[in-house]
Amino acid sequence: MTSYAIQTKALVKTYGLGSKATRAVDGLSLNVPEGSIYGLLGRNSAGKTTTIRMAMGLARPTSGDIRVFGLDPRHDPDRVTVLAQVGYVPEDKALLGLTPRKLLELNRSFYPATWSDVLARKVVDRLELPLDTAFLKLSLGNKTKAALAVAIAQRSRLLILDEPTTGLDPIALDELLRLLVEDCTADGRTIFLSTHQLAEIEQIADHIGIMDRGKILLEGPLDDIRSRFRRVTVTGAALPTTHPGILSIRHQAHATQYILQSAPEAFAQDLIANGATIVESNPMSLNEIFLELCRTSESTAADREEEFA
Amino acid sequence: MLSLRISASSGVPVYLQLEQQIKQAIASGLLQSGDALPSTRRTAADLRINPNTVARAFQNLEREGVIRTVPGGGTFVASLASLAPGLLKAEKFRRLRPLAEQLAVEASQLQLPSADVHKLLDSALNDLAKTRRTRTPNSSGEEQ
Repeated sequence: MTSYAIQTKALVKTYGLGSKATRAVDGLSLNVPEGSIYGLLGRNSAGKTTTIRMAMGLARPTSGDIRVFGLDPRHDPDRVTVLAQVGYVPEDKALLGLTPRKLLELNRSFYPATWSDVLARKVVDRLELPLDTAFLKLSLGNKTKAALAVAIAQRSRLLILDEPTTGLDPIALDELLRLLVEDCTADGRTIFLSTHQLAEIEQIADHIGIMDRGKILLEGPLDDIRSRFRRVTVTGAALPTTHPGILSIRHQAHATQYILQSAPEAFAQDLIANGATIVESNPMSLNEIFLELCRTSESTAADREEEFA
Repeated sequence: MLSLRISASSGVPVYLQLEQQIKQAIASGLLQSGDALPSTRRTAADLRINPNTVARAFQNLEREGVIRTVPGGGTFVASLASLAPGLLKAEKFRRLRPLAEQLAVEASQLQLPSADVHKLLDSALNDLAKTRRTRTPNSSGEEQ
């Protein structure tokens, strides 16, 4: 049986009251298997940060359930147990107004059982973090690095990184990916990170969730998702408009383009049986899948609004 | 030295890319029987990819007898020379069948005639034989 580092069911978070209320998280169900590197992908204000804050017990769900290692992060004593096992890099990277050196010393005393000086040193060296610059004078990238050094050196069972690449240059980003793979995945440890930068995450993640408007549009092992999605360009008469696997259809001047989200082989066989010609059939990158899903979800939402208008 | 490359945008699962590249390195003589492979974690860190993905590729290769793992001693390229000819033809067919099916599906999607598929396969086999010859020190070079 799979055990989950984070799991949510019908999770809702509403901000504001009455007609001005907005649903930041809207019936979210999320399953982050223990031992995975899970990338939560979404546009700005998709609800990623709100979800993470609820996992950390920093925001209270309006309804639904959220569990971290099966525990409820809202209430003590579970909350304390959760926080002791989680390393967290917040979205705003607004840490205490200390130099990175002081910040590391302080956190070292919070996590006496798991803290690693060797690992702290390694992160500082690899990411080239200046240790004695006053916090307010640190660049955005260096604030991110300081937050990462603190979180990684804790050697926690779960690392939660909210936009961990903010302000990092390509070299620092590459070093970060290396550090995460090398030093944060042993012994069944889990990394859960949110981002809108897909390319880097595509490399190291083995699970992804794509989130939009507070909901999960797609979740699962990345390799499964990659093998299911396909872009197929077809010519012929009386092409199908309904098939279980079709996500979207676009009509071009002389051809029709299908985006398939499952069973591409069955679709191709049906097409050929109907005398159509497949001009092109290509796998899709995660970036293409992401764009396609968000666009489709946008047009469905627009359709719904029209129905009510 | 073995240099692996991963293309995230190719749409091909990363573990398959790894398996294919390692098999290709062995087929072309770049990796030889007894050569040590880097550890799972080392490979993952070098490529900036998920360790589970590397482990999956290595497990598949081990099951196929391409590599072998010595507990506590590392991972090595198996002695293919002794293994491969000993395999029953039926077993070789069984292993290659899924690849053949995949090629057949792709070719039919592109509506490439069967004769052209054979031509393509022959040319790939020829290229491989050529690389192997130029890499083997004692053979007479056939490059023009």
